[in-house]
Amino acid sequence: MVVPLNTWILISNFKLAYNMLRRPDGTFNRHLAEFLDRKVPANANPVDGVFSFDVVIDRGTSLLSRIYRPASADGGVPSIADLEKPVGSDIVPVIIFFHGGSFAHSSANSAIYDTLCRRLVGNCNAVVVSVNYRRAPEDRYPCAYIDGWAALKWVNSRPWLQSPKDSKVHIYLAGDSSGGNIAHNVALRAVESGIEVLGNVLLNPMFGGETRTESEKRLDGKYFVTLQDRDWYWRAFLPEGEDRDHPACNPFGPKGISLEGVKFPRSLVAVAGLDLVQDWQLAYAEGLKRAGLEVNLLYLEKATIGFYLLPNNDHFYTVMDEISNFVSSNLCSVLLLGFLVLPFLSAASGNLSKGAFETASDWEMCEMIAAGVFYALHCQISVKGGAILR
Amino acid sequence: MGPYDSSVSAGSSSGSSSSCSVKPADPIDGLLAGAGYRVRSSELRQVAQRLERLETVMINAPTEVSHLANDAVHYNPSDLASWVDSLLSELHQPEIAPDPSTFSDLNYIAHAQGGPVLVNPMVGHCELSSGTEIEEDSGIRLVHVLMTCAESVHRGELSLAASFIEELQGLLTSVDGERGIGKVAGYFIDALSRRVFAPQEASLAGSAFENAVLYHHFYEACPYLKFAHFTANQAILEAFDGHDCVHVIDFNLMHGLQWPALIQALALRPGGPPLLRLTGIGPPSPDGHDSLREIGLRLAELARSVNVRFAFRGVAASRLDDVKPWMLQVNPKEVIAVNSIMQLHKLLGSDPSRGSPIDPVLEWIRNLNPKIVMVVEQEANHNQPEFLDRFTEALHYYSTMFDSLEACSAQLEKSLAEMYIQREICNVVCCEGLARVERHEPLDKWRDRLGGAGFTSLHLGSNAFKQASMLLTLFSAEGYCVEENEGCLTLGWHSRPLIAASAWQAMPVLQHPLPLINHHQNVI
Repeated sequence: MVVPLNTWILISNFKLAYNMLRRPDGTFNRHLAEFLDRKVPANANPVDGVFSFDVVIDRGTSLLSRIYRPASADGGVPSIADLEKPVGSDIVPVIIFFHGGSFAHSSANSAIYDTLCRRLVGNCNAVVVSVNYRRAPEDRYPCAYIDGWAALKWVNSRPWLQSPKDSKVHIYLAGDSSGGNIAHNVALRAVESGIEVLGNVLLNPMFGGETRTESEKRLDGKYFVTLQDRDWYWRAFLPEGEDRDHPACNPFGPKGISLEGVKFPRSLVAVAGLDLVQDWQLAYAEGLKRAGLEVNLLYLEKATIGFYLLPNNDHFYTVMDEISNFVSSNLCSVLLLGFLVLPFLSAASGNLSKGAFETASDWEMCEMIAAGVFYALHCQISVKGGAILR
Repeated sequence: MGPYDSSVSAGSSSGSSSSCSVKPADPIDGLLAGAGYRVRSSELRQVAQRLERLETVMINAPTEVSHLANDAVHYNPSDLASWVDSLLSELHQPEIAPDPSTFSDLNYIAHAQGGPVLVNPMVGHCELSSGTEIEEDSGIRLVHVLMTCAESVHRGELSLAASFIEELQGLLTSVDGERGIGKVAGYFIDALSRRVFAPQEASLAGSAFENAVLYHHFYEACPYLKFAHFTANQAILEAFDGHDCVHVIDFNLMHGLQWPALIQALALRPGGPPLLRLTGIGPPSPDGHDSLREIGLRLAELARSVNVRFAFRGVAASRLDDVKPWMLQVNPKEVIAVNSIMQLHKLLGSDPSRGSPIDPVLEWIRNLNPKIVMVVEQEANHNQPEFLDRFTEALHYYSTMFDSLEACSAQLEKSLAEMYIQREICNVVCCEGLARVERHEPLDKWRDRLGGAGFTSLHLGSNAFKQASMLLTLFSAEGYCVEENEGCLTLGWHSRPLIAASAWQAMPVLQHPLPLINHHQNVI
């Protein structure tokens, strides 16, 4: 039961730094946290085939997201016009990613998460949208979920993220630790909204409950995490006065709801065998199964928290492969469907490409201009009504 | 056996391979580098031991933990080894002597990162915005044509550029010119227009008086200059600690806005204030008026009111490279702080006969043997040789800056601040050769330049960071962010750093014959 040396250093460093940041009275040393957090800027210059840029999703809450895209085949630097160029292939998964940090730590531009999102792009041939949600304790439940929901709506309404095959945005929600929890809750919100979420990817998702489970007792303090710190983060995130059986923490607990009959997306849940909250994560997977939902549970016996941050262990590669399959399996079924539907469409397709435009060159020009969208334009539209422009 | 397996290889970076053929002698761990930490592969075991020790101490003395958090000053968290050591020494724990036997069984794939990822000139972040759906399409078209126009200027196709400019002026009428994309595009179209139609008068350089007025409003309307001032003052105050004769050399006095706060802080320091000399450099005033002296008198008044012994000297020079060290009259007994707020980049233009003034200026600064040199610069790459690259970068940079200005409610200040920014834009876009003084370069380039000129970095710590963050919360709109960058602090808007502050000291002259410690290499 060992981790590689550099992983141990990384996670221990976080553990000790975080100890300094949590105050016994429930407040958080945000200034020191921001000072210590290693951040990286967005980079429109492709690095290893991926480039990134930041967008403002909601000006009112300063909600930012970082978008990661595969570079073009020639690897050239995208111009301003290319940042929001429509996605190329028939089907492009768009993964809305919520970083971890137990609701209090890290940001979308934290180095560890910037690196992880870049790997997801390469691995899944996807566009990744990493949401810089508001954090506890300054912004408790439900702020992070509200931000996640805002991001989902925003992604769903971007024309340039629509897969050419069906002009729909192929959305997956993903997250690690608190991010996994957020993904679940945003998916819940999306049900009945008309926005389809094709799948949830939860890595070591953060769940809990009032009772102390066997894994919590057995692994308390053994692998970087203590029950005491878990309790602190829940107290910081949940509404004051609420206990850990609040449905945000314990979705299938005494105050939870059944998802039977609910059109909830299929899920990939990765559980680390050395994570003390694994019993809650396994219970979560069970809850989904009981509701008749599709769950792919990955139990990684020897993994600790944060195993997916560095590509130096088998579990990392296992999970990356599974995620890749997970977001492309829809692809296969759609392609199959497309294959059957294609003969019926081909007759009409010749006229579709020109549509309402007068000439083919106008169409190309407009595609290019549309590509040169400054996303803030869209943001401004959604915020404009009633937004206070300071 | 510890909780980590030292025989498992740490894995290598999957990043791009270094372009240089010689591997550094002591590589850093590539995976930790990707996480923002520089740890030498050969030191991993040691760092792990220190972390274990730190943990033990923290468990045994929980009250010490709050001391570490609240009172201790943290520096440069990227250098994990020294960060952990500094915490251990805060807790009065002696360093562990390295255990030579533990290094032999480590088997790391020695693959060094080529260095930090270059901040791309085209950091993709854009704040151009438009109000309604109809405007959105015009906005898109506007930017598209703007870039195409810049491209034709770049290629020297000036008549083509002229026709684009006409088109752009037409497009401008269909967007809101008061905010967002309309506003920024307006300034860039104006700049391109000047470049194409009236290159001789392109520069918008006004009189020194006008510049000072605009500067003052830029100071009021947004926090960039305030951040520069209070970060610099904090570092200078610390450098002056324990010294009785101190001398600040300000490379651009303007209205001396930076100095009242320092004077007051010195007045309040434990042990009493030092004798403070201030040398303010600024352009000569027209018609016999001595504005430098007037500012000096006002500051002297303030100093007198708080019982700080103070002497002022004004040095009139239209360019920094006209200043000669003897004009500064430094005294060998005094401790010197050099303060350069957005001035050094003006020295980067080169004259074929004389070369670039930056080198001789950095040399005389170094020869002053200053205790601290504060350098604040725009965090942008506006000095690239190719016009189109500069234009693109400037469009991003100033869009972000204009966006941050939207939050300013005071109309007059905002308008004049915009004019201040407009002058910079015109200089970047319209001017060439020595006339182009706004040659902004990013922090990494300044690190290399200052390192090569014989300066070492003085790290700005968590106390300066916290002060800056708190002041921002008090005085500015939400959306500004202070970040720590390997010992330097940056202020940005919506996660795009726009201004960077760094502190330096001259390396003792004695060390000159030895190889210089370079920021990116290991100590030899």
